[in-house]
Amino acid sequence: MEAVNPVIEATALAKEFRHWGRVVRALDGVDLKVGRGEVFGLLGANGAGKTTLMKVLLGLAAPTTGRVRLRGRDPRDTAARRRVGYLPEGHRFPAYLTGRSALWLFGRLAGVTEDDLGSRIPALLDLVGLAGRGDDRLGRYSKGMTQRLGLAAALIDEPDVLFLDEPTDGVDPVGRRHIRDLLLEARGRGTTIFINSHLLSEVERTCDRVCIIHNGRVVREGGIDELTRPGQRYKVRLAGAPAVDLDRLQISGASIASVDGHLEVTVESLEALNALIDRARAERLLIAEVAPLRSNLEDIFIDTVSGEDRGSGRGARGSEQPAPNRPPSPEPRAPREDGR
Amino acid sequence: MKTWALVVDTWREALASFTLLGFLVVSILFQLVLVFALNLDIVDGGLAAVSLFGKAMPMHGRTPGIQEVVETGQATFAGMLYAMGVFLAVFATGSQVPHLLRRGTVDLYLSRPTSRAGILLSRFLGAVTLVAANFIYLCGGVFLIISLKTGVWNPRFFVATGLILVVFLSFLGFMYLVGVLSASTPLSIMLPYAIFIISMPLAAHDRIAAAMDSRLAANVVQGLYWVLPKSSEIGRDIVSLVLGRGGVSIQPLVTTVAFGAVCLVAAVVLFNRKNV
Repeated sequence: MEAVNPVIEATALAKEFRHWGRVVRALDGVDLKVGRGEVFGLLGANGAGKTTLMKVLLGLAAPTTGRVRLRGRDPRDTAARRRVGYLPEGHRFPAYLTGRSALWLFGRLAGVTEDDLGSRIPALLDLVGLAGRGDDRLGRYSKGMTQRLGLAAALIDEPDVLFLDEPTDGVDPVGRRHIRDLLLEARGRGTTIFINSHLLSEVERTCDRVCIIHNGRVVREGGIDELTRPGQRYKVRLAGAPAVDLDRLQISGASIASVDGHLEVTVESLEALNALIDRARAERLLIAEVAPLRSNLEDIFIDTVSGEDRGSGRGARGSEQPAPNRPPSPEPRAPREDGR
Repeated sequence: MKTWALVVDTWREALASFTLLGFLVVSILFQLVLVFALNLDIVDGGLAAVSLFGKAMPMHGRTPGIQEVVETGQATFAGMLYAMGVFLAVFATGSQVPHLLRRGTVDLYLSRPTSRAGILLSRFLGAVTLVAANFIYLCGGVFLIISLKTGVWNPRFFVATGLILVVFLSFLGFMYLVGVLSASTPLSIMLPYAIFIISMPLAAHDRIAAAMDSRLAANVVQGLYWVLPKSSEIGRDIVSLVLGRGGVSIQPLVTTVAFGAVCLVAAVVLFNRKNV
């Protein structure tokens, strides 16, 4: 799927850093389009170039070659950054500010009027759960509180494009869910959201589309549904815990586990599934469920990155390709909890 | 008003680091000494006796004119303030750019729809207002106390304060350039001090150049003289001005202002190009 009328667009983007005569290529020909109202996830291992890409998209760093457009403008043009929220990774608000004065400062820099700030600051502090701490110095905030304040600062000018670099970093599970709900709310209002996160389960729950970046290149891109669509893997659940010789159920590549008092067998192909059903019926076992299994984003990510590292995944770049050489799973995989 | 927000930000930073408070305490102490501890006995327009903290100061049988006493006192104070004030002001504002450029902080500022030049120049303006307010409070207070105590009003003292501020602005421009280039607070403080000290003997640039063995070395000395602020000449002018013995030389003032302006423009240009 490619975005029509993209809000964020990168074409043949490259970024090199020079350090004492050494050239480091952080981005290498990145092509990317994110459409209006889309929630886009950027995935990659440490040092893959995610933060650099985000900074170039925001105009904080200039590309060495290639072209970037933010709502059709060069992001280094001040006007392009109007109503664009950004939560940087590892952000450090000046410690001398309070929560309230930080929102005032960055709201004013975003061009929000004094009147609007008067109503928006308390509302945002409340929204991110800092209502009672707005007058505390930021030096007294915990990491999770600072992160939530960062999100409030990113939302201060009611942005229609939101860049979030590790938005749930240092946030507890309750806070993570809160942040996820806020993002889903923003998406509901039509905000375009660009997220960089290591928490793949969060990305999977929040994003419409993701791209995996590795060594500065986009190696895989697609919708969450496309990437995690059921493949050739199936789960068969046998009712109860039948007293059966497990060896007799062993099909090539199958894994068997006891889950909640039932036997669950995972097979890797349609042929293996049919062979398993034949054997189960022959053993007069009751089949309670047969379900195709989706891969989760973590599997896709690890497969893609491992494949790239092995040099066997080059063909996957920029297109939908089956994951190469999936390593055998030690445990059977459960279907996704959201039913996808 | 984005500029106003950044000026307020600069003041908040100074307040939090106790820079303002420290300066205010020193200023108040000095003014209290002038108000309560310094007693001047003026008879027929001459200074008959002086006591500080109740202890009489030796007059050696002289009764100098009060006008002369006030001008000399103010000139001494202005000379001390010139050296000390510039040093203190550089120290108080040296961390501004490095703190702005800290990883994780700079992104918060630069990702807003505000130009980089606007951010840097607004912070510059914030520093100027900060130092100017401190100078005006200290010098204005001293001027008022002395004038009310003696009845001698010497407005040239205020002009001298303005000159000190101009020299500080020049060093602030240089400090911003060092800050943008290095993002280092120690360097942003030490290099202006070094320039201040190096430029002092350059007032005798002709004599130093004449003593040089090579033409290249002589040219370097002359070049440094013309490029760097004229700390020595301006210091001398400040004292002369307060004493009413002369005006301000244009060349040292213009070249000092030009040095700061060029440094500030260079800082803005480099900041615009900087990858964060």
